[in-house]
Amino acid sequence: MPRAIRGVMIECEPAIKSIIIHLDSVNHDFIIEDCDETHLFVKENMMPLLKAKLEEHLKETYRPEEPLADSE
Amino acid sequence: MASTQSYQLSDYLEKLPGTTFRKLYQQPSTAFAIFRRELPPLAKYFVQALLYMPDALLLSQLDIWVREDGKMARDRALSILRSLHIVQITPPSKDKPQEVQLTTNFKNSMRLALEGGGTHNSWGVPSNLPVDSSIDIPYLDRYARRKWEDILHYVVSSVALHGDGGGGGGSNTGPKTSVKDLLLAGRLVEPSRGIKSGITITQAGFAFLLQEANAQVWTLLLLWLEAADHTAGSLMDSIDMLCFLFMLASMELGRAYDTDSLTEPRRNMLPSLVDFGLIYIPSRDTRQYFPTRLATTLTSSFSSLRPLFSDPNSAPGGETGSLGLGLGSSLAPPIATASASSISGSKGSIIIETNYRMYAYTSSPLQIAVLALFTQLNMRFANMVTGRLTRDSIRRAIGYGITADQIISYLAAHAHEQMRATAASTGRPVLPPTVVDQIRLWQLENERMSSTGGFLFKDFDSTDEYQALCGYAEEVGVLDWKNDRKQHFFVSKIEQLRDYLKSRKKVE
Repeated sequence: MPRAIRGVMIECEPAIKSIIIHLDSVNHDFIIEDCDETHLFVKENMMPLLKAKLEEHLKETYRPEEPLADSE
Repeated sequence: MASTQSYQLSDYLEKLPGTTFRKLYQQPSTAFAIFRRELPPLAKYFVQALLYMPDALLLSQLDIWVREDGKMARDRALSILRSLHIVQITPPSKDKPQEVQLTTNFKNSMRLALEGGGTHNSWGVPSNLPVDSSIDIPYLDRYARRKWEDILHYVVSSVALHGDGGGGGGSNTGPKTSVKDLLLAGRLVEPSRGIKSGITITQAGFAFLLQEANAQVWTLLLLWLEAADHTAGSLMDSIDMLCFLFMLASMELGRAYDTDSLTEPRRNMLPSLVDFGLIYIPSRDTRQYFPTRLATTLTSSFSSLRPLFSDPNSAPGGETGSLGLGLGSSLAPPIATASASSISGSKGSIIIETNYRMYAYTSSPLQIAVLALFTQLNMRFANMVTGRLTRDSIRRAIGYGITADQIISYLAAHAHEQMRATAASTGRPVLPPTVVDQIRLWQLENERMSSTGGFLFKDFDSTDEYQALCGYAEEVGVLDWKNDRKQHFFVSKIEQLRDYLKSRKKVE
């Protein structure tokens, strides 16, 4: 008998996926199943936290080139 | 935005049953208004051709009017005409070819609309009483603008961007409670504690703000119709309300109409319409009512709405320039071509530089509040504000549910004349392409992962079992992802699969 598990399927680039896996490695509380290079199956109730963490992580790695502060 | 409910007239009409349409089409003004506003050109052509045909036409004959490559347009036109119950087509059968004809009520009303006559009072009865000469078109425009701005202000001021409540700043008292209730019911704003105004704006509310004025008016009116439907024991009948709106739309701006010739239920609608700013009733003499520009443009096609309340001196040629945004933005749906504050009477006021700096020559608190939704404002002077489009400000806006396309079309619709003039003389798009591209990129950046809720199926006993269930999921259209090697698959809905598994179990 097959099993059906409730959750959220995430589709993303491999780069983003590796970040999520990295985030998961701390507590292993996000990912249910690593599906393929671009798909991850995660817990539904952890989605908001995961989104926030990812956002935070991207902020660290990506520094936008903001133009110089206004001189006015 | 799929998540937010759309309030468009066409969606509303589609949901109505056929009997409602028969009632609606008893009024020539309604039939004509729907013909004018809802039909694509080819559908209009069909209606005109069919209007004076004595008998039904063979469906195959209709094909002669359409070019070989126009089959899709033909099908679309016919499906719209059918969904609006304007034509009826006999069902296909072996012994008789399919025939098409206009529905009786629509045909009769449309003929009456073109030829005149009848005693339907469908176009409104002009008042015979002397008209106060101070009530002229500019007066009505000012009145309607003030009323409508009050409503927009109320929505904008619910944005807690700044300490002062989003630059509400006006001395107005806001719209009537009935209007506020409608906005709440339509979830354009939500009640919220801890904020001075007591409400916060929703995603739908942001989309509402960036819409063009005509779409905003319809949004509110449709909310009004729905509220009437849902209120038990309501004295108002939404079909009659809709007919009345179409009647208002066919009236002449600046003309006085007779209140007494209206039916009782329609007279009861007048106070609400006054609250919306669709009509004006002089306080001294309530026997007359004046439709405002908000009402008379209700059924106009989109292009003619551009100059709604705009300065008559502004060059009409400039308007077309704003359409050529360049950079694929012509592919974007025209969600917010002319928008919220085209109604505030300002000509284009925004200048965007290639370095993302933004200067807006405006003192309208409303426009400033709208700009604050997606720009980082720096300074405010007596007649202008300056700011900058930043990654953060755009991302914040996107977080609210505003799309990059809405922002871009807002900026384009409100671009300063100088921007348009330069663009026209150099043959470049009005907005700097770098900025437009960057706004889109910032949006993309935000959408790095897409997520779908649902169920993952795994641990199958056999390949056959996997293939059968997976195949079934694909058939019923819920399959989202599968991996044949691991024998896993993901579906967005489980109900049908559960039933399928149960029924199979029984068989075994």
